[in-house]
Amino acid sequence: MDKLIIADRQFDSRLLVGTGKFSSSQVMAQAIKACGTEIVTVALRRVDIENENDDILSHIDRSKYLLLPNTSGARDSEEAVRLSKLARAATGINWVKLEVTPDPYYLLPDPVETLKAAEILVKDGFVVLPYINADPVLAKKLQDIGTATVMPLASPIGSNQGLKTRELLEIIIEQSNVPVVVDAGLGMPSHAADAMELGADAVLVNTAIATAKSPMQMATAFKHAVQAGRLAYLSGPAAVTKQAKASSPLTGFLRND
Amino acid sequence: MEALTINGIEKQFPSGLPDNLAELLGQIKIKSATVVAEIDGEIIDRDNFSKTKVADGQKIELIRFMGGG
Repeated sequence: MDKLIIADRQFDSRLLVGTGKFSSSQVMAQAIKACGTEIVTVALRRVDIENENDDILSHIDRSKYLLLPNTSGARDSEEAVRLSKLARAATGINWVKLEVTPDPYYLLPDPVETLKAAEILVKDGFVVLPYINADPVLAKKLQDIGTATVMPLASPIGSNQGLKTRELLEIIIEQSNVPVVVDAGLGMPSHAADAMELGADAVLVNTAIATAKSPMQMATAFKHAVQAGRLAYLSGPAAVTKQAKASSPLTGFLRND
Repeated sequence: MEALTINGIEKQFPSGLPDNLAELLGQIKIKSATVVAEIDGEIIDRDNFSKTKVADGQKIELIRFMGGG
């Protein structure tokens, strides 16, 4: 399969995986292994100073996976920039999944604050992967200021609704000259395949894998779906028509009319 | 009594403040290898934890990675 290239770095897998909501770090580690991902997202939170904390990083082999810190929890550009800098200080990684979601109900990204933060972070040398609504104009603006990807949503985070933004995703994919990573709302492998068939460069999945009864099996299913979708896209899909077009020859029937 | 505000919680030190950030983390049993720290809004490089003094009344944020999407 062709490689995914983000900010001059090559990846064999086109499936990015989030590490939230797993029942344990062990289950998370098994799932990220099963799905063949090479990029995993993590969040930054305050240490609970009253209780012993499990250290998620000890379950992620950093020689195999690129750690992609997110700015989840940020309500404005200032908070997002602060979280990005903290993540960089913690790990030396200058990659960041930028998300600014002031509304806790739908968790929709704030376009104005996201663009503002992206400008600051790109200037500061970050490789910025912004989570956005499926807005082609915003996607273009972000790519113009130098973000490494755009990450439009399929539907609200964790909602498992699949591609509710299909027509807009098509426009973003058509216009983009940076990788398009469809993020959020992909609830089933068929949704991921759907996005890949449209021509998305990659997808990001978390809830659908983490909250499945068997995260490992679901991770494997997503792995195959993403590969199948990419292969279908590259193979040049056949035309859609309204009328039936026989697949079998229309001559030599066993009758005389 | 000397005190620090750690992650929004005021913590008092009846027998005096720890000398530096590394000592503070040791006292509250937090492994420094995975933690990033801010003192009064300024990020402290992990390499400098043992060189960074702490002072009465400072606001300290201790942050680490968690699962997230």
